[in-house]
Formats: sequence, structure tokens, C-alpha cells
Amino acid sequence: MATRVETPPAVRPTSLGRLGRGFLVAVGLLVLWGLSAWIYQLTQGLIATGMRDVVSWGVYIFTFAFLVGLSAGGLIMASAAEVFGVTSLKPLARLGVLTAAVCVLVAAMTIIPDLGKAKRIWELFRYPNWTSPLIWDIIIILVYFAFAVVDLTVMSRRSMAPSKRAKTLRVLAYVGLPTAVLLHSITAWIFGLQISRPWWNTALLAPLFVTSAILSGTALVALAALAVRRFDGIEFSERTWTALAALMATTIAVDLFLVASDYITILWGNVPRERAALDTVLPGGSWQWVFWLEWVVGGIVPFVLLVVPRLRRNPAVLALASFLVLVGVYAFRIELVVGGMITPLLHLPPGIALGSYTPGQSSFQYFAVYHPTWVEYAILIGLLSFLTLLITLGYRWLHPVERSQPETVS
Amino acid sequence: MAASTTKRWGMVIDQNRCIGCWTCAVGCKEINNEPLGFWWNRILTAAPGETTGESSSALVDPASENIDVPHGTFPDVSMAYLPVACQHCEDAPCVKVCPVGATFRDDNGTVLVDYDRCIGCRYCMAACPYGIRVFNWGEAEQPVDFTIGYGKDYRTDGRLVFTPDRPRGVVEKCTLCVERIDEGVQPFCVEVCPVGARVFGDLADPESEVSQLVDEGGAVQLLPDLGTDPRVFYLPVDRERNV
Repeated sequence: MATRVETPPAVRPTSLGRLGRGFLVAVGLLVLWGLSAWIYQLTQGLIATGMRDVVSWGVYIFTFAFLVGLSAGGLIMASAAEVFGVTSLKPLARLGVLTAAVCVLVAAMTIIPDLGKAKRIWELFRYPNWTSPLIWDIIIILVYFAFAVVDLTVMSRRSMAPSKRAKTLRVLAYVGLPTAVLLHSITAWIFGLQISRPWWNTALLAPLFVTSAILSGTALVALAALAVRRFDGIEFSERTWTALAALMATTIAVDLFLVASDYITILWGNVPRERAALDTVLPGGSWQWVFWLEWVVGGIVPFVLLVVPRLRRNPAVLALASFLVLVGVYAFRIELVVGGMITPLLHLPPGIALGSYTPGQSSFQYFAVYHPTWVEYAILIGLLSFLTLLITLGYRWLHPVERSQPETVS
Repeated sequence: MAASTTKRWGMVIDQNRCIGCWTCAVGCKEINNEPLGFWWNRILTAAPGETTGESSSALVDPASENIDVPHGTFPDVSMAYLPVACQHCEDAPCVKVCPVGATFRDDNGTVLVDYDRCIGCRYCMAACPYGIRVFNWGEAEQPVDFTIGYGKDYRTDGRLVFTPDRPRGVVEKCTLCVERIDEGVQPFCVEVCPVGARVFGDLADPESEVSQLVDEGGAVQLLPDLGTDPRVFYLPVDRERNV
């Protein structure tokens, strides 16, 4: 007997309750705080941030790359579930696509506070320079967002005949998978194609971005599913949780393998400019905390939590592991951006001009310094809160979770 | 306005002559109304072989984080100055990455930034191998409250490539003194160099002094292995010649 997976009974979220309303208000306030920080930054200029001419990309760019990555997981998961027939992941398909749409939208928004002249953003469409990977990225982001919205609409429309819906979703999945891979590759190429930054200029970067995107995206979907389970009492089958944990554990391993390959290549080659970048993030370097977050806190620890069956069956442990995975992937973005900028190719005294002047201090920087300011943290928290708000509201409007089908023997 | 015949403006900097006095850097700041904390042109302290190294991976670590500190132990010490501003590359990474074409090459191949177009994404700063670009992080502060230097707007093909009133949030860099060379005057750094270490001219003209120095004088480019093909060349320190 075959089950009718095409028309899963949609589960309505329970009403919000006081806790839920309080949560939304708190998140909304954080969004407003971020927004006011951005308005403050508009009045001051980017001098309000910790960025200067040496480390000229900071929190906004880490977050942009991180959020683009986050958007992957859901869509890749939903598409893979269709293309490869992974039924255990199907119940999370709609939730996955919802997170994908929201993450890529907020990722695109993250670029705006990073621009020195945000009001000229329309020029990107008026005067596009086709050799710029940034233009490729903007196009693929728009395509990806549009795709996620279409996918979500097809999934949620009740009027569509079940068989037609299944067929459409299958076709969409075959488009979605390559689109997602392209999105992460192009975002990687923004960095990876630059000959000026040996730390970025590796062919491994696109595979690394795709892997870390699947990793962090899956972690986000797992967290969302755990929240749905906790607050709406919706159960998913054991197989769904196992599939999530297995996907994360595998991608942690692949991700760290790729990073380690890069380390080994640089260490053995011992090319001074590449070593200089690596040494800043390895233990003993000025940014070593990023290494520990990436490898231990966000790498080995969640890996162990996910591969030991007794541990991962505990929802609290799974939630912790997923959160740590997100920390690890964010650390990778910091390692990438800062490592590339902190050691300029022509690293000679007196260093690079700062572009700002503080009486009594040199206008050059030889050892690059980057300390994000409260403005950057406030905008970061505002953006992440906006993301949370959109996912929560999207979930409640679209109630995109399907009850797992009972496992059947045909 | 641009001359009718196309030029390939280039420069040769003789490291045998450079004494590291920073006159060209300060002159550049003055003529171009560069705000406080801005240096389009810097004089780096390097090892004498720095520019003869064929690749970016062969760069020698500096002797110190401070300028004017020689390499080696007394009496075997050596040092060279490496003045670095925009290299006006033929295949400029900044031109390739600029998403809106704000950084462009004019008819003579000089790399310029359109102050009216730049959106301030700073991708060009990430892409430039020479670290020569400066961003207007905040409100530009001038050292004095009266106009020095060129002091007025200059446009190439209608595009604002120089303005003394710096807009906040845009990137800027060396223009090769485009407003001067269009009038047939040398860039200011060449004019003020007290030891004649800088030679400016047309690389398209094989008879010009710069072409001679490049073709026969052994002038080299900075980080040539990157393939950016700069139009600024260096005559590396030559011990034999100095003896």
C-alpha cells in the first residue's frame, strides 16, 4: 500500500500565546534597534564602524556571506529530497524553502549598510559591469529569491491538484539544486577570484562555500524544526532527525577536510605571504580565537554530538549541536575575510594609509587592527532579529510543516 | 580635455636615486587636496632586491614595522625605497571588479574613479594588489581652511574624476594628475621630486625617455607575476652602478 505523500495534511500552528507574543515584540524591538543604528551610521558615515583602509570589509561582509550560506541548506535539502527521493527529509521541505527565501532576502539587505553611498544602489542595475563577480552575485541572488518564492507558492497552494503539484515540485527541484550550487559558488568567487589576496585565491573556495552552506543551512532548518516541535508539539519521525544529524555530521567532516587541505597546502609550500595570513588565524596568531571556534567549538564538538546516537536523540543536544555548527560556520567567514585583508600583499612599512585621522596617532597601519563598533553589532543583531521575525511570521502564515507520514511497507 | 592622439602615459621611478624624503607624497597630498589620514602615494621601506623579485611570493619581509630601518646587521646593511601609488595597470583588477564601472580607464589608459558613480562597496580595495586605494570613511577633514592645490572639479568625458570637496563614502586614489597631464604638464610628484627619481612620459612613443628606460634600462614592474601589467616601472637598486 502506498501512502499519499502528495497531499500531506498541513498542520496549523497553535495560537501564539503570551510567550510567543512577548518573543515577537522582543525581536521586533531588536530590529528597531538595528535600524536606528543604521540611521546613526548614515549620519556619521562608515567612520562609525571599526573598518578602515586595511581591513576594509568587516562584520557586514561576514554576515552577508554567512546568510547567503544559510539560505542554501533549506533549498538544497528540499530539492535533494525530491531529486534523490530522500523521503525522510520531505516533511521539512517547505520549512526549508521558507528559510531559504528569508535568508537570501536578508543577505541582500546586509549589503546595504556596507555601502558608502547606499542611495546609489540603483546604479547596480543602471550601469552593471559584467566582469564584476558582485554583479553576477546580485543576479543569482535575485534569481534564487524568485525561485524560492515560486517553489514556496507551489508547495502551499491548496487549489493545485496533488499529482500536478508533485510533478511541478520535481521539475522545480531539478532547477533549484544547480541554482543553489551556483549561488554559493558565485559568492565564493567574489573572494576566490582575487589575485591580490592569496588567502582567498584558491579553487577550493567554491566547494568550501557550497559545503559550509549545506552545513549551516541544515543546522538552521534543524533549529527551526526543533522550535516547531517544542512550541507547537509537532512530532517528526525518528528518521527525519537522523537524516538531519547525518547530513550535518557529514558536511562538518567535508568542510573541515577542505579547510585542512588548504592549511596543508599553505604550510608545506611555506610561501611567505600565504603563511602570514594563515599564521594570524592558527593557534598563536592574533585571530586564533576564530580557529578554536571553527575547529573545536563549531567543528569537533558538534560532530561528536551528532555522531553518537545516544546524544543526538536528545532534542536539547541536537539543538546545541546545530547552534554550534552555526557558530563554526560564522567563524569560517571571519577567518576568510579577515585573513585575506589583514596581510596586504605589499606588507612594507609604514603600512597602508588609514583614510581617517586621529590626532597623535599615525595615519598608517602596519599591523592591521579591526575591532567592530557597537554600530556594527547593533546592525548585525537587528538583521538576525529581522531574519528570526520573518521566519516566525512566515511559518505562522504558511504553516509549512507537514506531519511525517507513517512508515509503510509496500 | 584629452589630447586627440592617444597616449600611453607611464612612469619610471629610479630607486637608485630615491632618498625616501616623502616630498612626492606630501606634494601629492597638497595638489590633490587629500584629507587628513589620506595618502595616495606612500614611500615604503624595502629590501634592495624587492622589485627585482619576479613574483609576489618572493617578497622579502621588512626589517621592521617602522620606515627607514635597513636590512641586515652592521656593517652589512642595505635598504631601498619603494614609492607606491596607483600603478595604472593595463589589466587593472579594480576596473574588473567595480560593479558599476565607477573605476574606469580613460582614453589614454589612466585608471580613474568617478566620484559621482562610486557606490562605496570597496570591492576595488579588496582587489587592488598594491593597497593604494583610500576610502572616505567619514567627513573629509582638510589640514587648513583655505584652498591649496588644484582646488576645483575636473571631469573626463563628463565624469567627475577629481573634486576637492570629497563626498563621504566613496573610494579615491592617484589620478596621475590627469588634470595636469591633459594640459601637457607633468604629474606633481614628478615635478617636485628633488632628486629627479621620477620620469614621466608616453610609453607608446619608443623614443620617449620612459620607453627607453623600460626597453633598455632594465626597468621592472611591481608584482609582475600577477599579470596586472602596471604602467609604473621601477629601476631597481644597482650596486655596480652606484659604486
